Amino acid sequence: MPPLSGQRRMERRWGLLMAVPAIIGFAVFTAGPMIASFLFSLTDWQIGGTPSFVGLDNYTALAGDGLFWKSLTATTYYTLGAVPLGLIIAFGVAMLLDQKVRGLPVWRTIFYLPTLVPAIANVVLWIWIFNPDFGLLNSVLRQAGLPAGQWIYDESSAVPSLIVMSTWGFGNTMVIFLAGLQGVPRHLYEAVSIDGGGPLRRFWHVTLPMMTPTIFYNLVVGVVGTFQVFNQAYVMTEGGPNQATLFYVYYLFRKAFIESEMGYASALAWVLFMIIMVLTFMMFRNARRWVYYEMAGAR
Amino acid sequence: MKRRDLLKMGGLAALGATAACGGGADTAGKVPLQFMYWGSTFEQKAIAKMLQAFERKRAGVRVTPLFTPDEYDVKLNTLVAGNRMPDVGYVPMAMSFRLAEQGKLLNLFPYLKKYPQLAGYLPDAYLWSGQDRLHGVATANEIELLWYSRPAVAEAGIAPPPADAASAWTWDQLVQNAYKLTVDQSGRHPDQPGFDPKRIRRFGVSCSLTYAPAWYGFLRGNGGDFADEAGRRCLLDTPEAIEVFQNLQDLVYEHRVAPGPGQLAATGDEVPGTSILLKTRRVAMVVDGHWSLLDMNESKADYGIGVLPKYAEPYTTTQVAGASAVFAGTKHVEEAVELFAFHIDPRYVDLYAKGLWMPQERKYYEDQAAIDSWTRNDSHPPEFRTAVVDYAREHGVPAFGNRVKDMTTISSDLLTPALQEIESGKRPAAEVLREVTPKITSRLRGWQHTQGL
Repeated sequence: MPPLSGQRRMERRWGLLMAVPAIIGFAVFTAGPMIASFLFSLTDWQIGGTPSFVGLDNYTALAGDGLFWKSLTATTYYTLGAVPLGLIIAFGVAMLLDQKVRGLPVWRTIFYLPTLVPAIANVVLWIWIFNPDFGLLNSVLRQAGLPAGQWIYDESSAVPSLIVMSTWGFGNTMVIFLAGLQGVPRHLYEAVSIDGGGPLRRFWHVTLPMMTPTIFYNLVVGVVGTFQVFNQAYVMTEGGPNQATLFYVYYLFRKAFIESEMGYASALAWVLFMIIMVLTFMMFRNARRWVYYEMAGAR
Repeated sequence: MKRRDLLKMGGLAALGATAACGGGADTAGKVPLQFMYWGSTFEQKAIAKMLQAFERKRAGVRVTPLFTPDEYDVKLNTLVAGNRMPDVGYVPMAMSFRLAEQGKLLNLFPYLKKYPQLAGYLPDAYLWSGQDRLHGVATANEIELLWYSRPAVAEAGIAPPPADAASAWTWDQLVQNAYKLTVDQSGRHPDQPGFDPKRIRRFGVSCSLTYAPAWYGFLRGNGGDFADEAGRRCLLDTPEAIEVFQNLQDLVYEHRVAPGPGQLAATGDEVPGTSILLKTRRVAMVVDGHWSLLDMNESKADYGIGVLPKYAEPYTTTQVAGASAVFAGTKHVEEAVELFAFHIDPRYVDLYAKGLWMPQERKYYEDQAAIDSWTRNDSHPPEFRTAVVDYAREHGVPAFGNRVKDMTTISSDLLTPALQEIESGKRPAAEVLREVTPKITSRLRGWQHTQGL
């Protein structure tokens, strides 16, 4: 490495200095706790007690823990519903908002607004929407002469209800799609039009392929996010009815802070981390088959 | 989630800072104590007042209140983990047994002689973690009652629920009266043709299935129990237990006089307070704890208090409350124990006269002057003496949730889900209970220790 010039050295020093808060923050609040939680996961530790080393016992215990599997199933079910539905709706709305219509900024604001509602306020709002007696959803259904549902109060409809609720906060995904849509080169659309292609062909042959990197990004972020779903179970259902919405992170929270089984909860956290890592890895491997990068060579 | 965490941590930091100030405010050479507690704003004020009274009585002591209304378990756990526990305070019941096992709570047993007041509580109030190991006392005695709306009862033309145990309704009488009290939007009762169960204006009665203290009195009154004497076998599959739970399920689906899951919900599992349900006449009779009295009076509801319907015996659940304890790390043991006795002394805490708490000292149920000292006021209706004081003294069975080992985990893993299934009405109680009982049995590790003084 050639010796750095004075200016470069100074830049480097300042650069590091400026990054120090972030580095410290990462070390103290992310890396440190992660290492600690891994060590805890190898112990039997209740808060206030003395940790005793148990090796991989917590991990092997997970395999026989019916609630662990239940929570994993519930979370997977939720992810499989919420992610595709969220992507489709966000994409659809982004397409609409990409049209040249009057009052576009107003529409964009309206569709983005729900995202700004604080998580807990959002949850409380939906509790009211789902109320079987006087909730908005059942009132509308009754008006239309349709059968009303029990929504989050019934074992079989609880997770689907929460999936429907999850789509409400699609604003961020939509904005990313919108940005992606605006980056699709116009000349490609023109080329399809010249060849006599209609809107459907334009969508199928231009929009969709050009949008695959954005879809992929939102897919990964969506899966990682929904696997950590917590608020709904915590505030709305407490994991019920009959454990139907016992989401993974809620189960972890219960183990850690209600039952104060910190060792076991740490093992749960690490298993979740590994699950998400493997899923992300698989999605990236799979991405080569369907994600199209215009500048693939330059990657 | 991230942001929430951050806020929580901020809260903890603030708490830590308060704690630090508490320790550092020892400028005048006073003994510093910290008192940690939860509760409504109302309770916050009452406790703060009590702490000031204590400071006046013990001039050399300064008490810092650590009011922690939310996430109490999490915050107390954090303080325990950081070894910065308060001196005296509330401890969630299940956690108190864990902390006692870990030696984090002071054994009060040696102090019973020196502070006779501590020896005068109701036997069920004491919390034992082993022979002669007394780690705390349930903060207040609370019992389950049948609250009702006087106007709704008058409108239905029925006699109000009896206020003394001797004349308690049978279950069938409760059901019959609930029929008369239940009306749909067009004014029909459930036994009339055309009754619309989807549009019920007023439910006759409501009694939680998932909240154990609400039904434990029925279970015991019917000769059943949650577990056998050894606390090793669950008894929820006995005919006595099945009858009680089937009856509760039938209130909703067979008789249609009680709300099903979610029907009363306003925010999550939080049903509006009983006082609101009665005041709006959404429900005519509600099984709920004595603590509702405060809200009843505050909201000026036109209520009455009755005893619960009886099976073979007219029982009600008592000792439905959190624990109070002295923490083992306190540097000022004497002062802390004195504060402990003080904080549940009806002479200094107005939460008894206001209707939130019931005393733990035996004399407040037996001695006329003592009874009058907390019940003869505007907050306590005339029927209070028989419906609450006598009822608690003669017909109380202590809540099992505090007394069965590992009950928190057993509840969240097995019991609550099973009860939710019964509540959903999809399967008869017998089927659900027969399935879950052996599973609960496999997790039982006995009752907590109890002993006389």
